[in-house]
Amino acid sequence: MSISIPELLANDGFITPGDQVKIKSFAETSGMAYVKIALNFGYISRKNYERSLSNAGYHFAQIREEAFDPEVLKQVELKFANDHLALPLRIENNRVVTLMADPTDQLFIDFIRFTYDMEPDIIIAYDLDITWLSHKLLGEKYVKAAVYELLRRDPKSSASITFTTPQLVVIFSLLAIIAVGMVLSFKNTSIILNVIISLFFLVAIIFKLFLALVGSRFELHQAVSKEEVRNVVNDELPPYTILLPVYKEDKLIKKLIWNLQSLDYPRELLDIKLLIEEDDDKTLKAVQNLDFPAVFEVIVVPFHMPKTKPKACNYGLHFSRGTFLTIYDAEDIPDTDQLKKVVALFAKLPEHYICIQSALNYFNRNENFLTRMFTLEYSYWFDYMLPGLDTLDIPIPLGGTSNHFKMDALVELGAWDPFNVTEDADLGVRAYAKGYKVAIVNSTTYEEANNEPFNWIRQRSRWIKGYMQTWLVHMRNPATLWRKVGWKGFLGFNFFIGATSATFLVYPLLLAIFVCYVVFDFSTIRSLFPDWVLFMAIFNLMVGNILMIYVNMMAVFKRRYFELILFAIANPVYWLMHSAAAYMGLYQLITNPFYWEKTNHGLSKVNNPTNVVK
Amino acid sequence: MLAIYYIVIGVYLNHLGYYNRESIFYIEKTKIIFEGVGNRIKVMGLTAPLLPFYCSIIFSSVNTFLAPVIASAIGTAGLFYLIAVSMSSRIKNDDFYLYLVVLMFFFHPGIVYTATSGKAIYLVLIFFFLFFFNLLKFYRSNTTFHVSLASMSLVTLIFCDYKFIWLSLFFVPLVLAITLQSLNLGEKESIFRLFLSFNSPSLRRKLIGKTFAIYIILFILPIASIICYKLLNLTHANDLNYFIESPYATWTVLVDKLNYDMTTAATNYQLPELSILVSARVIYFCPLILVAIYLFRESTYQALTILTPFAFIEFLHIEYDKLYLTYEYYMVFLVLALLCLIFKAQTVKNQRVFKIIVALVVLVQFYTGFDFLRNSLIPEERSYMATLLNRTPNTDQHESMEIADYINGLPKNSHVLVDDAVAYPIAAFTNNIKQLTLPYQELFLSGIETPYKYDDYILIATAKNPFTGYTQLNNRYIPLIRIVNSGINYKRVYETDNWVLYKIISIQ
Repeated sequence: MSISIPELLANDGFITPGDQVKIKSFAETSGMAYVKIALNFGYISRKNYERSLSNAGYHFAQIREEAFDPEVLKQVELKFANDHLALPLRIENNRVVTLMADPTDQLFIDFIRFTYDMEPDIIIAYDLDITWLSHKLLGEKYVKAAVYELLRRDPKSSASITFTTPQLVVIFSLLAIIAVGMVLSFKNTSIILNVIISLFFLVAIIFKLFLALVGSRFELHQAVSKEEVRNVVNDELPPYTILLPVYKEDKLIKKLIWNLQSLDYPRELLDIKLLIEEDDDKTLKAVQNLDFPAVFEVIVVPFHMPKTKPKACNYGLHFSRGTFLTIYDAEDIPDTDQLKKVVALFAKLPEHYICIQSALNYFNRNENFLTRMFTLEYSYWFDYMLPGLDTLDIPIPLGGTSNHFKMDALVELGAWDPFNVTEDADLGVRAYAKGYKVAIVNSTTYEEANNEPFNWIRQRSRWIKGYMQTWLVHMRNPATLWRKVGWKGFLGFNFFIGATSATFLVYPLLLAIFVCYVVFDFSTIRSLFPDWVLFMAIFNLMVGNILMIYVNMMAVFKRRYFELILFAIANPVYWLMHSAAAYMGLYQLITNPFYWEKTNHGLSKVNNPTNVVK
Repeated sequence: MLAIYYIVIGVYLNHLGYYNRESIFYIEKTKIIFEGVGNRIKVMGLTAPLLPFYCSIIFSSVNTFLAPVIASAIGTAGLFYLIAVSMSSRIKNDDFYLYLVVLMFFFHPGIVYTATSGKAIYLVLIFFFLFFFNLLKFYRSNTTFHVSLASMSLVTLIFCDYKFIWLSLFFVPLVLAITLQSLNLGEKESIFRLFLSFNSPSLRRKLIGKTFAIYIILFILPIASIICYKLLNLTHANDLNYFIESPYATWTVLVDKLNYDMTTAATNYQLPELSILVSARVIYFCPLILVAIYLFRESTYQALTILTPFAFIEFLHIEYDKLYLTYEYYMVFLVLALLCLIFKAQTVKNQRVFKIIVALVVLVQFYTGFDFLRNSLIPEERSYMATLLNRTPNTDQHESMEIADYINGLPKNSHVLVDDAVAYPIAAFTNNIKQLTLPYQELFLSGIETPYKYDDYILIATAKNPFTGYTQLNNRYIPLIRIVNSGINYKRVYETDNWVLYKIISIQ
C-alpha cells in the first residue's frame, strides 16, 4: 500500500505517462489535487478509478450518514476541501476522521496534521460523495450569498418583492377607475379601453416589424469570421468557465459529455461546473456510473429556498476560475468553435461590452408540430429580434443559455437574481442600466425543443412569469429607468418585455370578440367600436397577424429551414398556447412567484449530432 | 427644392382649374372621413387604391383640395431622393449620372406630370423602383432581407394599383431561374446548372425546396394581403371585388369606361395599341430601356427580370382589352431604366461613349415623353398638357363646381340626395358634406325610397351624362318616384348639361 494513487493508476494503464506529466503540471498551477484533475478533466472514468483502487485493496465507504463535528469543520475551507476531494469530519480516538478520494494526497494529509495537530484516520470514499457532503456541510455561507447577495447590494433590483406598495396602489387604482367608468358609462369606458389596446397593439406590431427588418439587414454580417477563429492562438486563450445547472437530468449526462468534449478549446483551460442540487441523487448517480471519463467538475448546491437555476449559478460562481463564463443547459449542443469566437469578439469589442449572446436554435425541429413552431419562434427571436435590438441599442433580454460573460463584470453586477425566474432577461436589463452593452455573436447553440404540450406550457408560463417579474422590478421607478437606459431603452424595454406578456394576455380576449363579431354580429360589440377604432382593430388583426407570420417565415428562410416556412401560418394557434401559458404565469406570479416550473428535457427521440464547425 | 418646384407647378395648375378625376375622388372621400356623418368604416378601409388615398389624407390637413398634389409632389421628390441616394452609393466619383437624373426630374414631362397631377403614379413608381431594386440586390446578396423587402414593395405596389398583381404572374417561371442561380454550383451557364441540379437527388431536393421557399417568401405576402382585403370587402360590402368593381370604392371603374368610350367615338384616328405595338410604344417612349437591357445582357435571369414588365403590359393589354394603358405604365420603364443604370452603368468600359449615348437618349426621351402626353389616348392626360402649355383655365370641372356652388348657396339645414358613384366631383366641391345624403350613410337607401322624408333636394344625372347608367338617380328616377310617392312634387331648381337639381315639394 505504499504506492501512491498516481503511480497505481499509471501502473494499471489507466493514465499514460504523458497524461501523468500533464496532470501534475496542471495540479501545480491550479492548486487542485491530482485526483481532482484526473477525474474531472477527462483522464480517467470514475468506474476505472474505483476498479483500480479496489484491486489495490482499498474499500470505498458510504459516508453520507457519517457523524461530523462542526468545530472540526470550521477549520477547513470549502474550496480547499473541494479542490482536494477530502474532508475532515470529527476527532475520534485522537485522530481526525477524514474522508478522502485519494488516500495518498500528501498535501491534504499534511494539512490535517498541521491544522489539528493529529494524525488523520482516512476513510476512502467516492469523490462525488465527498463533494456532496462537503458542500452540504460547508456550503452554507456560499449558498446564503448566492441567495441574498443581490438583495443586500442592490435591493431595488431584486425580485424578492414581487409587487411594491406603490405598484399595488397603481394597479388597484387603475382597476377602480375602470370599474367606476364601467358603471358610469359602460360604452365610453369600453371605447377608451379599446382605443388604448388597439393603439398598443399597433405600436407593438410596427415596433416588432421594424426590429425584424433592422435585424435582418445584418444577415450577412459576421461578427467573427472563420479567419479570425483560425487566427486564435491556443496558448493565449484565457480560462473559460461553463456552468451547467441541472436538475434530474440523469438521462442527458452522456450526451452532455459528448457535446462538451466536442468544444474546440484547450481542455485544461475549460472550467466546467455541473451544478447539481443537493436532493438530486438521480443525476449524481448518473455521473457516478459513467463508464468513460467526465470532463466536468461536480458542484453540489446545498438546499436553500428558492430552488431556482439562478441560485445554483450564483453558487457555482464562487468556485469558478474562468476569465469568461457561460451557461449551457444539459442538452445544449453549441457550435464547436463558439468559445473561441466569443474570445475573439471580446478582444475586438470595446471594454464596456460585458456579455455576448449566441443564437439559440433546435436540433429536433422536425419532430412534431410544437418543435417546428418553437424553431420558427427561436429563429425569429435570435436571428432577427436580438440583432435588431443590438443595432438599435436597446436592452437585450438575454436567452436562457449561451450567454457569455466577463467574469469580473458579472460579479460586479451582483450576478443573477435568484428570485427572478427569467434571471437572464433581468440581467440583460441590469447590465444595460449600468452602462454595459451586450453583443450578438454569429454562433448557434442547438437545444432540445420542447415536444410535449403540457411541458411546453409549463416552461413558457415560467418565462412569461419571469418577464412580468422583470418588468415589475425595473418599473418600480419608471423615471429612474428612463434616466438610466434613455428613451430608446425605456420604450424598447416596455414594448419588448412588458408588451410581450400583455399581448399574450389580451390576445384571446380580442380574438373572442372578433369571432363573436363575425359569427353573431352582435350589435353591442359594434357599438363599442366606433368606425376608426374598428378600422384600427381590423388593421391590427389582419396586418399584425400577416406581418408576424411573415417575419417568422423570413427567419426560417434565412436559416434555410425551407420545410418549416408554411408552418408559420399556424402561428395564431401557437399564440393561443402562449396565452394559456401567460394566464398560468400570471396566476403563479400572484400565488407562487419564485416557483421554478421545471422543464423536462430528454423527451426528444431525435438524434442530436454535434454541430461541428469546420 | 424639387418638391417646392413641383408644388409650385401643381398649385398653379390647380389655380387654372386643372383637376383629374382621381384626385377629386380622393378629395371627396377625405371629406367624408373627416366631415361626414354615418358609417364611414367602408370609406376608410375600402376606398381603392388604398395607399394613394391615405397619402392624400395625410396632406389634407394642409389643404383638402391641394392634398393629392402635395402628396404627389413630395412623393416624386422622395422618389428622386431614393434614386439619387442609391446612385451615389453605387456610382462613386462620377456625378454625371446624378446630374442626368436631376435634369430628368426637373424637365421630363412624364415626371413633372407624375409630380404635379395629384395622381398616384408617384407611389407606383416608388414601389416599382423598390421592388426591382431589392430584387436585383437579392440576386447579388442572396439575403432574406432583400427578398422580403421586395415582397413588401410588391404588396404596397398592388395596393397602389391592383393591376400590378399580374406582375407576379411573370415572376413565377423566373423564380426557378433565380433559385438556380443562387445554388452553390461550379457551373456558370444556366442550362448546365439546371442539368446538374436535376440529375443529383440532393441538389434536386434543394432546388425544389428553395424554389418553393422563394415563391412563398416573395408571393405569400401579396396573396395573403389580397385575400384578407377581399374578405374585408366581403364582410363589409358583401362583394369580394367591391374595391375594384364598385364606383363607390374606386375611381377607375367609371374613368376607364369614359376614356375608352370617348376615344373610340373620336373621329380623328390615332395609332392604336395593338399587341406588339405596345412594346414598340414603350421603346419609343423610353429608349433608355434598350440601354438597360444591353447592360444586363450577360446575365440571362437578370435580363429576363428587366423584360418582365414588357410581358406585364402586353398582358394588361390583352386582359383589359377595353382599356388604354395610361401614362403610368410607360413611366415604370423610365424608372426601371434608371435602376439598371444605377446597377450597371459603371461596368461599361468606354464610359465616354456610353455617357454620350445615355445623354442623347435622355434628350430624345424629353421629346418622346412630351409627345406621348400631348397625343395621349387618355383625354385627362391631353388636358393636363394643354393646361400646362396654354396656361389658360381648364374648364373640365366647371360644371361640377357650378352645381356645387348652387348647393353651397342652399339653406344650411337643407339636405340633398346625391349619388357619389357618379357625382363625387360635385360632392368634393361642396362646402358642407353633411348637407348631402350619400350612399355611405345607412339612410341613403331610405332616402331613395322616400326622399321627401329625409331630403329637400335630389341631384339627378341627365340622359346626356356619360355615367347616367351607373346611378339610380338618373332621368328615370323622378317619374318612378312620382308613382311611388304621389302627393310629392319635384321642381327643377338648377340645371346643367349633365345634372339637374330637383327641389322636393310636399303638396299634402
